Amino acid sequence: MHTSRIARPARGGRRTRRGLIAASAAAVLASSLAACGGGDGGSTPTLTWYINPDSGGQAEIASRCSEASDGRYNIEVAQLPRTPEGQREQLVRRLAAQDESIDLMSLDVVFAPELAQAGFLAPVPADLADRVSEGTFPGSVESATWDDELVVIPFWANTQLLWYRKSVAEAAGLDMTQPVTWDQLVAAAQDQQKILSAQGRRSESLTVWLTALIESAGGSIIEENSTNPEDIKLGLASPAGQRAAEVMHDVAVSGVVGPAFTTASEDISASQFESADAGFMVNWPYVWAQAQTKVEAGTLDQSVPEDYGWTLYPRVDADTPSAPPLGGINLGVSAYSRYADFGYEATECITSDENQAYYMNTNGNPASSAAVYDDPEVQEVYPMANTIRESLAAAKPRPLTPYYSEVTGGIQREYHPPASVSDSTGQQADDLISAVLSGDQLL
Amino acid sequence: MSRREKTWWWIAGVVILLYCLFPIAWIASLSFKGPADIANQQFLPSTTTTENYSTILTGTASDLFLPALRNSFGICLIATFISCILSMFAAYAIARLDFPGKKLILSTALAVAIFPVISIVTPLFNLWRQIGLYDTWLGLIIPYLSLTLPLSIWTMSAFFREIPWEMEQAAQVDGATTWQAFRKVIVPLAAPGVFTTAIIAFFIAWNDFAYGISLTSTSRARPVPAALGLFSGASQFEDPTGAIAAAAVIVTIPVVVLVLIFQRRIVAGLTNGAVKG
Amino acid sequence: MTQTTLPPIKKNEPVSAPRGGISDRSRAERRLGWRLAGPAFAVMLLVTAYPILQAVYYSLFNYRLTDPENRSFVGLGNYFVILSDSLWWQAVAVTVLITVVTVVVELVLGFALALVMSKALSTLRPVLRAAILIPYAVITVVSAFSWRFAFNITTGFVNSWLSWLPGIGADTDWFGGKWTSLLVICLSEIWKTTPFISLLLLAGLAQVPDVLQEAAQVDGATWWQRLWKVTIPNMKAAIMVALLFRTLDAFRIFDSIFVMTAGANGTESVSFLAYRQTISRVEIGLGSAVSVLLFLCVVLIAFAFIRGFKIDLAQTRGEK
Repeated sequence: MHTSRIARPARGGRRTRRGLIAASAAAVLASSLAACGGGDGGSTPTLTWYINPDSGGQAEIASRCSEASDGRYNIEVAQLPRTPEGQREQLVRRLAAQDESIDLMSLDVVFAPELAQAGFLAPVPADLADRVSEGTFPGSVESATWDDELVVIPFWANTQLLWYRKSVAEAAGLDMTQPVTWDQLVAAAQDQQKILSAQGRRSESLTVWLTALIESAGGSIIEENSTNPEDIKLGLASPAGQRAAEVMHDVAVSGVVGPAFTTASEDISASQFESADAGFMVNWPYVWAQAQTKVEAGTLDQSVPEDYGWTLYPRVDADTPSAPPLGGINLGVSAYSRYADFGYEATECITSDENQAYYMNTNGNPASSAAVYDDPEVQEVYPMANTIRESLAAAKPRPLTPYYSEVTGGIQREYHPPASVSDSTGQQADDLISAVLSGDQLL
Repeated sequence: MSRREKTWWWIAGVVILLYCLFPIAWIASLSFKGPADIANQQFLPSTTTTENYSTILTGTASDLFLPALRNSFGICLIATFISCILSMFAAYAIARLDFPGKKLILSTALAVAIFPVISIVTPLFNLWRQIGLYDTWLGLIIPYLSLTLPLSIWTMSAFFREIPWEMEQAAQVDGATTWQAFRKVIVPLAAPGVFTTAIIAFFIAWNDFAYGISLTSTSRARPVPAALGLFSGASQFEDPTGAIAAAAVIVTIPVVVLVLIFQRRIVAGLTNGAVKG
Repeated sequence: MTQTTLPPIKKNEPVSAPRGGISDRSRAERRLGWRLAGPAFAVMLLVTAYPILQAVYYSLFNYRLTDPENRSFVGLGNYFVILSDSLWWQAVAVTVLITVVTVVVELVLGFALALVMSKALSTLRPVLRAAILIPYAVITVVSAFSWRFAFNITTGFVNSWLSWLPGIGADTDWFGGKWTSLLVICLSEIWKTTPFISLLLLAGLAQVPDVLQEAAQVDGATWWQRLWKVTIPNMKAAIMVALLFRTLDAFRIFDSIFVMTAGANGTESVSFLAYRQTISRVEIGLGSAVSVLLFLCVVLIAFAFIRGFKIDLAQTRGEK
């Protein structure tokens, strides 16, 4: 429903033009560098970009944008830990120490409010904020906003799709061209004795799942937001929260979620979905690239990914559209950076449509700009590109609060294992998180 | 010993060997598995590959692993060296001189040895960032001293007590200066104890994890155990099992080599320091 | 010790000044003693005393790293919050359980290992000695990864090897529940540290006088009787030192839990709880209070051991 509002080709076109200018500038620079045999390296500021681990895409974009800067700055990358929690731990502690060596940061979509509230982010120039907000999925913009201001720059966006084995869906008589509900999936998997893969592990993925369920049921984890931790009102015990808990419990005890559900991560779901017992799965689009790689390496039969089907995230109630999970990375510029202005200039280059398309095609991370999905190469690499775009347009971010780690920690503690979730879980989690936020309890 | 008894001792010996080597053999075997074999649920790979080693030594993870290996070696060797020098003086004083506070030093060493590392990580982090030691070699060397010094002092003073110091006096009586007596007589006698202590101190520093993950953040100072948690699969959600296994094997090689060469000394050092009758 | 040319000095005794009055020589010796031992003493004290004092200070505040302006003094409030929280007590229970289980198993297993080593054929002994040092020398994190991968449901071989046991199959998820997770954590700890205990016990075994053993054998005591009546009482000091060091070590368990479960399924230890409050939640005040409590627990255990079991560490080390 948001799709039509977002994917305005005219704006996408403007962004692409900017990319072209950058590319030609790079070409000019490259030739001038070749002519004079290296620039005045001593005076060129070096921006250090702390990146989440990837397959080398951010390093490549960094060198492209260094070239495009016309010699005004260089971007170097430094790697952060693998998990988003690990990345946050390190960045928060170093920024609290007013570390000047951080200029740019790749931030998971959930961390902007905490850094912004603490004053760790340099203010986004107003004209840049307007430019990057246009044509970017609303969920991504929302995740990049705190206190009504854009505080980070959306880079790439992730979303979970409902993956299904065409053969299983057909045998179960499920019409996948129509929206399906969690109840229907459970029934179909039980009927066909196939696995419905989801992530039941005590980790961020549990919060991802719960957020999607509550938002799909029409509620929100945070009903009333505040910068004061004691004033935050949670909606876990609301009717939507109750409904979400019910679905989570029903799925967990359905008997079709596969073994080791309580430790199932995205990766375990992905390998389950490659097995002969596979039926349905909710997961991020990387599973497609992974299966293709395995086919090329000869470790997975071609027929397996050929059987993959995809559609929008399952609904909680048949007549309410689903709110798929939103993931991805936003770019932050440190308030302690000596080159904040260059930093923001660099984010504009990094997030150009051209670089987003490059990143999506080579590193498997979907773009946050809707126009990128019209790129013929993206369409070719991702047969499900249109579904991803549709899903991102409807995707809802996880709760946005400076106290995110307390909220997600409380959720993980109360909602794990998912089979233990009951009518009272919502209230318990509500009470726990409120107590933790007021400093009355450990987490 | 009867033949039957002998057989039993052999069996017991082989069981111990298996017990000691099994987990190491497993991680080594895992490190030679390709992506298709990682989940084969078998002990051995169906085809061996050195892919994981090339990933961490020359491939995508080498930027992460090689500096970490260099840091680990550098930091641990320097910490071991400093701790040996400091504890050599301390142990000499304890074994040889009569001064009040000897018991205080030994008790302090014991108290520091039982100190929970986690309790001091955060205050150290705050202090280091104020004085600029965060994410530097020195910032890890100093806390490593708190790990290695207590054991070094205990072990070395146990060794030093065994030295027949009378010989030093004898040499002095024979006309040697104090320094000559020390260098010609005492140093050769004390060297094995110092060396053994150095090996054990190195093991302790090499083993650290909590300081490594809390007081570093980049390749400037990050040691290998902390770097293991940073490897990534092809995407954010894929597990880097093979790369971790290969890196684990590489960091195990130095300690295994030390064990094989100096096993007799290490055993003497470990038991000397703790149980001395 | 059979020195003839020098005045009779017992080998282990320091050279001391003649009794009566502090001579210049003894004053010089004092100065030298502190000059030599001082630097090591100062380093140890600085690296631990300063941080723990700072932790004590921070523990009296409500202090979040990302919100330093709202730092407020709360007195002992953090301690009340922690001590009235079930999470703290659960962490204590898990830590005590891991400590007791691993130390007991290690002691029994280590003793058996020491017995085998002491009797092993001379051809086998160097091999065994080298092998037994390997678990000791391997990095804890490496050991934890090895055990985690072995029991992991996708990468592990344990399920396929043990599938003949009732209740274990390809679907057994060891890290899915509290007790099975703790079992694997304990296994890895036991594997890693038993050799250290066995070496200490081996040294203790060597101190049991052969004469006593032979006398008991002549008196017709069985092997079992000799073990309990002669061997063990005579190596009490060695056992107690091994026990003390391992207990304190086990109580501080962190690396293995971090690698294997990251505290999921109620496997969080006290160290891990402290780590999460300070490092993950950046609640410096609350986390410092947990750290201080952990420190007090360790001191309490050490004290109880030294007083309760009358371990005279100085004596076991040949001090006066």
